[in-house]
Amino acid sequence: MRLSQRILLALATTLLPIMALWAMLFYYAMVREINDEADDSLEQYATLIITRCREGRPLPQLNSGSNNSYTIEPISDAEAKPYLRATFHDETFYIPEKRETEPARVMTKAFLNSDNRYLLLKVATPTFEKEDLRETILWWTVILFAVLVVVVIIVATLSIRRTLRPLYALFRWLDGYTPGQKHSNIPNNTDIKELRRLNEAAQSAVERSEELLDRQKQFIGNASHELQTPLAVISNRVEHLINNTKPTAEQLDELVKIDRSLRHSIRLNRTLLQLTRIDSGEVAESTDVDIVELLTEALDNCRDIYGTKGITCTITLPDNLYIYVDEALARMLVMNLTKNAFVHSAPHSHIDISIMGKQLRIANDGNEALDRSRVFDRFYTKSIREGSTGLGLAIVKSICDHYGYDIEYRYVDNRHTFMVTFK
Amino acid sequence: MKILIIEDEPSLRELIERAVSNEGYRVETATDFISAETKLAGYSYDCILLDIMLPGGSGLKLLEGLRAKGRRENVIIISARDSVDDRVSGLELGADDYLPKPFHISELIARIRSVLRRGRTGGDLTIDIGNISLDPTSRRVTIDGKGVDMLKKEFDILLYFMQRPEHLVDKAVLAEAVWGDYADESDNFHFVYAQIKNLRRKLEDAGANVEIRSIYGFGYKFTSKES
Repeated sequence: MRLSQRILLALATTLLPIMALWAMLFYYAMVREINDEADDSLEQYATLIITRCREGRPLPQLNSGSNNSYTIEPISDAEAKPYLRATFHDETFYIPEKRETEPARVMTKAFLNSDNRYLLLKVATPTFEKEDLRETILWWTVILFAVLVVVVIIVATLSIRRTLRPLYALFRWLDGYTPGQKHSNIPNNTDIKELRRLNEAAQSAVERSEELLDRQKQFIGNASHELQTPLAVISNRVEHLINNTKPTAEQLDELVKIDRSLRHSIRLNRTLLQLTRIDSGEVAESTDVDIVELLTEALDNCRDIYGTKGITCTITLPDNLYIYVDEALARMLVMNLTKNAFVHSAPHSHIDISIMGKQLRIANDGNEALDRSRVFDRFYTKSIREGSTGLGLAIVKSICDHYGYDIEYRYVDNRHTFMVTFK
Repeated sequence: MKILIIEDEPSLRELIERAVSNEGYRVETATDFISAETKLAGYSYDCILLDIMLPGGSGLKLLEGLRAKGRRENVIIISARDSVDDRVSGLELGADDYLPKPFHISELIARIRSVLRRGRTGGDLTIDIGNISLDPTSRRVTIDGKGVDMLKKEFDILLYFMQRPEHLVDKAVLAEAVWGDYADESDNFHFVYAQIKNLRRKLEDAGANVEIRSIYGFGYKFTSKES
């Protein structure tokens, strides 16, 4: 639910009972005021009639133009008792002149005439239709409520949109933020205190996570750096044993296996170090590098090595594609993508390699899609094969990130497709 | 031939020392900046293996001092810090080669040989083993004085063997040296066998007196033909 909707709902639900209560009070206040007025005029009229009656003067004509009417009838003393004080009430009244019943305010009072006999005077004046009043008030209240709601919607939407502009700016910033990549500071040019606080909090959270990430990268770098020499020493000692101690066939076999595992560790370690370097921007100077040439070289090597798999290739390459990049990294990128396709292709399957414009596209047959969100993660690999570092695509991704190339993985028509768009 | 090893890591120093003296060179060692400086001030060497990060100072500074005095000793930098900057500044300061750790001792020996040969012959890097002569710069191979055409990979393999005569060479190591990281996920070595087969035929046809001998289950040894 949006903030404006929530505010609107809160306002509406509070306004509704308040306005209902208000309408009721308003109604009673109105009725009372009008009755007061009517009662006053009834009293005056009654006084006039009573005075005239006592003095034996002619009473006012009934249809004298006013809508007032009256009746006078003699009553007994006992009957007069409750009416000694004037009482007022509402009733519907048949007005013969108009031939209709109308609501009227009626005053009833008993008085003594000149003969000391009680007469009961009923004076009536037509009054408003309470029903109508209630209806009118209800309608106007409903209209007021609707107007208020509309105003609230407009004001809330507009002012929230305007006030929350910095919030949307923050969202946009956060959406575009990837930890470990270059980024500007969070924009913070609002004078709304809460939003300033939010921006500051987000900024410091980002800084903390950046620092943590840096430290983590540094740790991986340092750890693999520290491992290098001991690994090299072991490997060299093994080599010494192989070359200089005349081992038996069994010992030699074992030593070679040790050496191969060691080389794997060394390669893994070296690749991790390489990743750390690329991620921290330790990259050699760029030169104009022909990607087509690198790709041709990569293909030659892969065909050499994976030739026994009987993989067929369709290759569509331009004469050249010069990219301004560190040659070693470009070679690594092309190598890893090409090798990846060959290594993960079943025997006698098909690989498509093409360069269109600045886009390199490598596709190979597959059985099921890889997890797009994880395919470039370190050590994300479906089949653990000996010799694999599980870092090839992570390196590719790091290189692309460093140079701002777009890299994408898609699985279409049972084919894994990797696309790199150079800059 | 006298070689100075400047390396603070004891294990690595011992290994290098052993391998280098096995090659028939005379070896001296220095373990830190001060002792290296003293040795360099007192003696001259044919080749200096120089670690960059030393207790007491940077190896690059030693190199700088050496070149400032106009000394032209061959220097191979061996450094754990395979950073681009180190490589560039090392070579700019006049190092003859740069070998990032971790390296194989056989690789180091091959580099020492190459550097010394270059120094001796004034830039000519040609390697001669038996009646085979290989020039890495022009990528030309002659056997018994006659040129032999080699494909790229065949040449690379031969160069690798020529730099390690009489050494056992693991086929996996050879694959990695020639095909780089392309080879590490292959589940067989057919591609190595195929190239070796071609290379052998070429060597045989040209009458080479050195051969690539198979060591079953392991790899190869580049060795003189037993007559």
